[in-house]
Amino acid sequence: MTTTDTATSFNLGAWVAKYAFVAAFAGLFAFFSLRTTTFLSTSNLMNVLEGSMILLFVALAMTLVVSSGGIDLSVGIALDFGAWFVLIAMLEFDLAWPLALIVALLGGALVGALNAFLIVGLGVTPFLATLGTFFIGRSAQQIGTGGGGNVSFRGAPEGFQSLARGDTLGIPNALIIGAVVLAVFYVVLQRSTHGTRIHAMGLQDPAARVAGLRTRRYRALVYVLSGATASIGGILLSSGLRLYTPQAGFAYLLDAIAAVFIGASMHPRTRPNVPGTLVGVLFLGVLGNGLDLLGLDFNVKAALRGGILVLALALAFLVSKHSAASPASGE
Amino acid sequence: MSTATRGGAERAATLLPVLRRVLLTRGPLLLFAALLLYLSLASSAFLSMANLLSSLTQAAPIAIVSFGLAAVVMGGGDDVVAGGIDLSIPAAAALATAVVSDQLTNQGAGVIWAFTLAVLAALIVGALNVLLVTVVGLTSILSTLAMYATVVGVIRVYTGNRRITVDDPTMLFIRDARPLGIPMPVWVMFAAALAFWLLLHRSAFGMRLQAVGGNQEAAATSGIRPRPYIAASFLIAGVAAAVAALALVARGSGSSPGIDERLLVDMVLATFVGAAFSRRNIVTVPGAMLGAILVALMSNGLILIRVDNSWIDGFKGVLILIVVAAAALQNRRRT
Repeated sequence: MTTTDTATSFNLGAWVAKYAFVAAFAGLFAFFSLRTTTFLSTSNLMNVLEGSMILLFVALAMTLVVSSGGIDLSVGIALDFGAWFVLIAMLEFDLAWPLALIVALLGGALVGALNAFLIVGLGVTPFLATLGTFFIGRSAQQIGTGGGGNVSFRGAPEGFQSLARGDTLGIPNALIIGAVVLAVFYVVLQRSTHGTRIHAMGLQDPAARVAGLRTRRYRALVYVLSGATASIGGILLSSGLRLYTPQAGFAYLLDAIAAVFIGASMHPRTRPNVPGTLVGVLFLGVLGNGLDLLGLDFNVKAALRGGILVLALALAFLVSKHSAASPASGE
Repeated sequence: MSTATRGGAERAATLLPVLRRVLLTRGPLLLFAALLLYLSLASSAFLSMANLLSSLTQAAPIAIVSFGLAAVVMGGGDDVVAGGIDLSIPAAAALATAVVSDQLTNQGAGVIWAFTLAVLAALIVGALNVLLVTVVGLTSILSTLAMYATVVGVIRVYTGNRRITVDDPTMLFIRDARPLGIPMPVWVMFAAALAFWLLLHRSAFGMRLQAVGGNQEAAATSGIRPRPYIAASFLIAGVAAAVAALALVARGSGSSPGIDERLLVDMVLATFVGAAFSRRNIVTVPGAMLGAILVALMSNGLILIRVDNSWIDGFKGVLILIVVAAAALQNRRRT
């Protein structure tokens, strides 16, 4: 539904909208390449890619939810639960690491299930429901860690550590996992009837229901899957650091939302979409890495990062608005 | 709540529907009443005048930023994702607080000049939101969230992430003076409540703003251009942030890093819990003030009965869910 439209009707406005942001992205890329000696090296660019994988999972989760017409403020909690449960499962319950991964995914799905119950079962709006889940999840982590202490597992099994640190045939495992999940999301959300239904639900929920779509079932599934997907990011975080820090996931929330909307701005009808989200994630990865390499003060970096983000979003949407597209946001 | 249910079940089946309706329509209020009753029984200090006044003082900045949020929600519509919301108000308030503190302490400015600059700073944040929402066409949740992150970064650069202590006599007066036994920040809250109530609920501007928020197309058809009203609502939110800064500087005797985060949480909680108290379940100025006072009373009470800090967030989360779920169920029954 979403991609066929671009193929059938080519228009210049949409084309400009699609590439204005890409041009700005290229400009940023060029700037970092000229200003630092290290940015444009293969090893650093690999770092950017690998470092973007955690955000990618959170942003894909958010893409799914925003496509269905909602928002998920608790993706960071799902990430935290994944990161936490996977270590606890191995440390305290002596589970083999592949089983611990399943426990982590269930932890993320649990967060999503609470959202699904509140949104589909009780009719609470997604913003308030996931905000409530966010508070409860934050508190649960404080209580569970005795006030916010870390959980460290230096001697984690080799296999588990290799998820974030190892490589297969010269390709980092994190990238392989990211590519697989990305492909699944692309196929499901952009190329299957399920994806079409989720987008239909997001655009016109009553119409979708009248057309016979079981929106309640789909919506519940969307939130559960969102939680599980975000928890993959948590698994990767714990695998790389061998350490769980409570509430680490919060840092990814704004970036995930930004990535989804940067991606949506590139779509002819400003719909969230998987390839767009990938571009948004890579943009944020390059921005973070480049600002690190410039060696700026920590506080200045935070301000610059926010400012550039606002500018990027403004640019992306300004161009897409003035092209043929009608913004889905204003409706 | 649970004791009421049990009592009703024991009596007669005919009472049940009535009870159910009361629980649904007045559930949030009853829940808060029960919680406050419990807190006053569990801690003798809870109902003391000193604690009540200190809770009100803490409620002041929360209430004032919630008034600003109420204006934006009214003008943008109450669908949080597609409609109006301004998450950047607490950051604007923190920025205004930092500007006032810096001007008074480091630049030797007078109170009036310091506050003029603070209002300007908060209005700039509001104007940038206007630009992003009405000209660029971003959804307000996205633009104000990004603006929040940016402003917090700017504050960190501006203050070097350090505390600025204020010992200006006027600010100390606002902190300590108690006309009629009530602290000044509470008077500021009451004055702001009255001003916002008149502006949003009793003026032609307020009616048009609510019309725009209720249905943009219908408002446009009847001759109200939505854009200026939406733009005005974000600027009003900026003014609210600057007024809240007055209460924040007085309360904290200056500007401290991180005040924005707690304020964000409490603002959202107060505004939407407040909505559940209104008859049509919409965001209102009196509701926002009631919500802010209840949030402050609850936070204080939980600390008084020595609830561990870790539990307080969870408590707030459960509470917001119960209140909004009751409101949602009530809406569902009506439709």
